[in-house]
Amino acid sequence: MSNAFDFPGGIYPPERKQRSNQSALIEAPLPSRVTLPLQQHSGQPATPCVAQGDTVKVGSVIAKREGMVSSALHASISGTVGEVSTTQISIDGDGQDAWLRLPPLEWQYAEPHALLERLNESGIVGLGGAGFPAHIKARVVERHTIDTLVINAAECEPYITADDLTLRHYANEVLEGAQITAKLCGAQHIVIGIEDNKPEAIDALKQALTNSQPVPVELTVIATRYPSGGERQLIKKLLDLNVPSGGLPADVGVLCHNPGTLLAILHAVRDGQPLVSRTVTLTGEAITQPGNRWVRLGTSVRELLEQTGLNTSELHQVIQGGPMMGTPLLTLDTPVTKLTNCLIAATLEELPPPPAESPCIRCGECESVCPVALLPQQLHWYARAQDDAKLERYHLFDCIECGACSYVCPSHIPLVVDYREAKSRIRLQRIEATKAEHAKHRFEFRQARLAREEAEKQARKQARQAQQRRPSNTAATNSEKVDLRGLRIAHAAAKASVKKAEKTLARVAQEDPKQSLDDLEMQLATAQENLKAAELQLAQAREQQSSEESS
Amino acid sequence: MSMMHASGVKDAMTTTAVPPTASLMRWVIAATLPGIATMSYFFGLGVISNVLLAAAFGVALEAAVLRLRQRPIRVALDDSSALLTGVLLGTSLPPASPWWLIGVGMIAAIVVAKQLYGGLGHNPFNPAMVGYALLLVSFPTYMTLWAPPQEMLPNDLWAQITGTLPTTQLDSLSGATPLDAFKHKGNAVLASEFWAANPLPNGTLTAWQWVALAWLAGGGVLMAKRIISWHIPIAMLGSLVLLATLFYLSAPSHFASPLFHLLTGATLFGAFFIATDPVSAATSQRGKLIYGAGIGALVIIIRTFGGYPDAVAFAVLLMNLCVPLLDLYSVPQPTGQQKASPGKPGEQP
Ligand code: SF4
Ligand code: SF4
Repeated sequence: MSNAFDFPGGIYPPERKQRSNQSALIEAPLPSRVTLPLQQHSGQPATPCVAQGDTVKVGSVIAKREGMVSSALHASISGTVGEVSTTQISIDGDGQDAWLRLPPLEWQYAEPHALLERLNESGIVGLGGAGFPAHIKARVVERHTIDTLVINAAECEPYITADDLTLRHYANEVLEGAQITAKLCGAQHIVIGIEDNKPEAIDALKQALTNSQPVPVELTVIATRYPSGGERQLIKKLLDLNVPSGGLPADVGVLCHNPGTLLAILHAVRDGQPLVSRTVTLTGEAITQPGNRWVRLGTSVRELLEQTGLNTSELHQVIQGGPMMGTPLLTLDTPVTKLTNCLIAATLEELPPPPAESPCIRCGECESVCPVALLPQQLHWYARAQDDAKLERYHLFDCIECGACSYVCPSHIPLVVDYREAKSRIRLQRIEATKAEHAKHRFEFRQARLAREEAEKQARKQARQAQQRRPSNTAATNSEKVDLRGLRIAHAAAKASVKKAEKTLARVAQEDPKQSLDDLEMQLATAQENLKAAELQLAQAREQQSSEESS
Repeated sequence: MSMMHASGVKDAMTTTAVPPTASLMRWVIAATLPGIATMSYFFGLGVISNVLLAAAFGVALEAAVLRLRQRPIRVALDDSSALLTGVLLGTSLPPASPWWLIGVGMIAAIVVAKQLYGGLGHNPFNPAMVGYALLLVSFPTYMTLWAPPQEMLPNDLWAQITGTLPTTQLDSLSGATPLDAFKHKGNAVLASEFWAANPLPNGTLTAWQWVALAWLAGGGVLMAKRIISWHIPIAMLGSLVLLATLFYLSAPSHFASPLFHLLTGATLFGAFFIATDPVSAATSQRGKLIYGAGIGALVIIIRTFGGYPDAVAFAVLLMNLCVPLLDLYSVPQPTGQQKASPGKPGEQP
């Protein structure tokens, strides 16, 4: 790839992918019990819709989407619902593995809204790590023209090989999933970006490429460099487009998905199979049978690692995600979720803790590797000094937390930790600052709900009255001439404000997945209540008018 | 969260990782050894006594101040930065400087220039150069006592170090450095006449040139090992040579040649060991280039028109002064941003 299309900085950490990419992708043993957290995606947690003792099959909905940016949750094994708490649902398996699938859809002929609804009810979220609900991402076309669908197969972080193995085994399926997504968002091109350290996946893709229909697919092999798999970095590299700061790839006409998500989309559409399992890379020196597995969601990490020959005496820490951006697990008794792409059971020698931090010597190494061309060192000073005005002026929120700066810092300063703290502090402040606003929105929501309930009451009353005195319905209604036109306008306005609230919410949720969405969800709910009330009133008025005319 | 760090991975694809700060400092110290060895070969053991004394002062003073500031002493001493400051100041002083002179210089360097500003990483000025400049201004007689090349163990080495040598004898020690001599040749004397008169004690020029080459060797190693980035030394030497060439071409009979500027005085030592001190230099790559070029230009200007024969210390300190400004205006443009805003005019922080 030419250098003109390049992002700045970048590092070359050891890849350590051989450990997990030597064996085929296989199914992990069926767990006897799963624990499914209600929050396995960005946005609001899902709301349970089963109770203890219910029998479920694989694919039964156990928790519903709550608000707009949220995702449904399905049973990943068949059996009996154990405990239902505010944060998770557990299921005791019956060993039957009985499935409940949705009817298959022929995506070539299906209506876009049917496909969208399928993504929604299948609980598909981005499987690359952020977990953004796929149906919201697909609805981006309502606001933007999408030209290109990028398949992000760069997988630039060390250790992780989940996408690599997925592509080796399912290249055709991934491309079909991409075609579905391209149809949904109206993309005219599909571009695959993959690092040159995955020759087998590249071969598989080349084979599959030729019979992928109808949108043309292009394969671009890029040099291995961390973090070329960052969304913005990859878009820059593949298409030479700069996603604006604070913007989304959609702003430059691009939608980005990783191969795992596209495969899940195909399974949901073609086979009616909701998201109940995912590929997980199991690796690290402390397990003897590393590799990639299809794992049912909710499987315990401990169980999974023990099945692959965990050497407890050697184990130093287990990292969820990659070594650059992942997080160490505090306990192994935690379930695999939709966000778990990799588990590294590392020994002490493998990933030694960094030596004690020493003062910044202003060497500038961090700057030279930052893929966003930020000044990590200045950010570090201002983060420590809690100088938030300066932090924003030095574009803290453009930092993608890739960790390249921490990786090279000769003083071993945990720069990214500083940035994360500063970001969450500033996010909190923003919420504090809008607290009054928030209270006002809550009040408006209550008002809207009451109005809607009132409208419903009215509608019921009218229906009753209409039934009672069908033949002659005169005096009362004639006096108050129905303002149908006004109601229609009000209805249209309510509809528009729902659209607007949805748009803002979808945008904010994607721009900064960690931002709290409560307030925006509330505003959306208010708009929806208003819309319902307007709909009822309009229907009521229409009814009235037609009965007047007929009489 | 970065559980991986360049210094902790043995199987990195490329070995471009920068060593940790502590070993960074030690590398720089190691790279001064050829220079120091060559200097002592020509100017005697007085060079080594300087370095040892200054380093000892450095570590002791750093420990003392940290103690007073109630900071952990071990951790800070482990980074070897005080040791390095000592080595750098020690090499800059005339061989066999008296102990108290070194002490005063190191107090200025470690206590005032470094710790009073908050310790490693916080000092705006290069500590060793602050010490040097202070001594140069306060004790000019001692600071210009640069003996001509001599045997390894001069007779009165001990008396010199202890400061017990009678002042009357001091002068007899002194020989001019090449820069010194050239500076004071007077305007009437043409450069060619000056050189023809063989103005320096035997072997002086050769000695200085060998020392310069030794510094170059050490600096080259540092650059090859990526311990220092190329930006500052290359920009500094580039602008120095450029400016010296311009002057020289305009009036070869008056001005010294670029090669003379390059190979005498502290030019190469300064380019690789002083100007590259990351703490007091500009940080962005563009900033470093400007910073280095500024030093190079100032060296020539001060040497040619100023009152001091050599100028590296003042040039570095002057550019240190400009660093905040350079840092503010050489901010790179983040990808996806419309412009690099921190230094927008009218928005002074
Ligand atoms: S890499 Fe570390 S020591 Fe160097 S400038 Fe950046 S933060 Fe400071
Ligand atoms: S973590 Fe942020 S500041 Fe550091 S290199 Fe990555 S993007 Fe730049």
